[in-house]
Amino acid sequence: MIELSHVSKHFGEETAVDDITLRIAKGKFCALVGTSGCGKSTTLRMINRLIEHSAGEITLDGQLIENYDPVKLRRRIGYVIQSTGLFPHWTVARNIGLVPRLLKWSGEDVTSRVSELMNLLGLPVAEFAHKYPHQLSGGQAQRVGVARALAADPDILLMDEPFGALDPITREKLQDELAKLQARMHKTVVFVTHDMDEALKLADHLVVMRDGGIVQQGTPLALLQHPADPFVESLLGGLERGLKQAALTRIKDHMSSLGPTLPAQSRIPGDFSLRQALSMMLRDHSDRLTVVDQQDVPIGELSLRKIVKEAQLDKG
Amino acid sequence: MRNNKSVEQHLTRRGWALPLVWGALLLVGVLGMPYMEGVFRWMEADARQVIYNRAEFYTLLARHLLVVGVAALVTISVGVLAGIAVTRQRGRDFLPLVGQLASLGQTFPPVAVLALAVPVLGFGTLPIIVALMLYGLLPIVRNTLVGLQDVNADIKQAALAMGMTPWQILRRVELPLAAPVILAGVRTSVTINIATAALGATVGASNLGDPIIAGIVNGNMAYVLQGALLIALLALTVDSAFDVYQQRLRTRLSAS
Repeated sequence: MIELSHVSKHFGEETAVDDITLRIAKGKFCALVGTSGCGKSTTLRMINRLIEHSAGEITLDGQLIENYDPVKLRRRIGYVIQSTGLFPHWTVARNIGLVPRLLKWSGEDVTSRVSELMNLLGLPVAEFAHKYPHQLSGGQAQRVGVARALAADPDILLMDEPFGALDPITREKLQDELAKLQARMHKTVVFVTHDMDEALKLADHLVVMRDGGIVQQGTPLALLQHPADPFVESLLGGLERGLKQAALTRIKDHMSSLGPTLPAQSRIPGDFSLRQALSMMLRDHSDRLTVVDQQDVPIGELSLRKIVKEAQLDKG
Repeated sequence: MRNNKSVEQHLTRRGWALPLVWGALLLVGVLGMPYMEGVFRWMEADARQVIYNRAEFYTLLARHLLVVGVAALVTISVGVLAGIAVTRQRGRDFLPLVGQLASLGQTFPPVAVLALAVPVLGFGTLPIIVALMLYGLLPIVRNTLVGLQDVNADIKQAALAMGMTPWQILRRVELPLAAPVILAGVRTSVTINIATAALGATVGASNLGDPIIAGIVNGNMAYVLQGALLIALLALTVDSAFDVYQQRLRTRLSAS
């Protein structure tokens, strides 16, 4: 668990982070969102002591971070940055094995851990282990960056706009994979981004920052339903907010049981979001969808009227 | 991939050809000079001697290499250490000072250094080594500074964030990445000093400069040519060997 309590950071006269209080429970995915210069990266770097905070308390599992040796602390915390920071003179395998080797793991342990991670992140060992970073595409390099951060199986993962430099398709793919990884590994993740959609998609806990302070924090759904002020609302997409909220809502939770009428032609899996359901209704010119399970067996139905009504209910 | 590798091998094999050719020519020059009287007689028809014979050429070559080598060892250690020291957090205040001192060393003419050093250190090898050290320091210090400062800040930050100690970052990240630039400085320094070392002959440090000085004193151009030729071949051999080594480093670090 990471706790920041009334933490500030001053660079000379300037205040980069201003009295923030934040609690990230173990295994939760916390996204810090805001425009550039709002202090989100500084906040992230204070956690692994790349930057020392000026005031307040930061604790990891109840221990003040000043009490940890910074080198040992950092070996326990994974760190991923936008430009990857891979060592250009080291192969992919050697880059990934960095922290285990710093921790003096045996050669065999490092090798087996590296291949495990490469497989986990979709980098076939035979093809990639001996490549150098400059031979990789942006997406591949970032996978290596994530693998390196996970190498020593840290409890905490800090990610500073990790997908910011990737093309939209690669970015989305890596977001999906990160979500899947997180569902399996339950790391405590602090994720900095200026992309609200990315944050909404990945985070359990969303923190909106502006001018070094926290404007609002809560679950993505809570923020979408009750944005604290016009700034948060505009970050959340203004008019698109309804759709973003629908994207976070699963069909399963809003469908009704199969009625006496003939089932609708269009079928949609129950794990999909209401946003996808709306899209399918528009595409198929239909105000009703049949909801199916993974075996394509109908389990319920969804009507446009119901979606609209539910959305209104949530708002109340 | 395999294709790439064979191209690489091909390049490196071709790479060593040049230094080998220069080295062979140098060897031929050093060992064969006494037998080339015919060639040099043509230059100095009236001279009593046309081949420098006060010492064997290979002895002169060995002494030349010794002087340059000792000076290079000292300048590399001092220059690289100074460059490292002033790029650390604690030494940063001295960065401008070290840069200026190194420049001063090179603006000071080696001849003047010799003139000042002889009264203190006496005649012989020591004054020329001191002169070469001062003269060769700048390229090494400057390139070490540039090389270390040019290492991508994100890479250094990532290294720190992974939990590497400052010493590990220096040894495993900064120095290897700065190596091609530092090596370029060493190359410049050593090549210049091979030529400059000839001045040592004026203060009694016997080396390949001897035939040149003797030739100038006695008006014997054949001597001058013999010394100059061998120094040029030595410089070309060493310089082209550095070139190959630098290419290899760069290939290994390409696109970093």
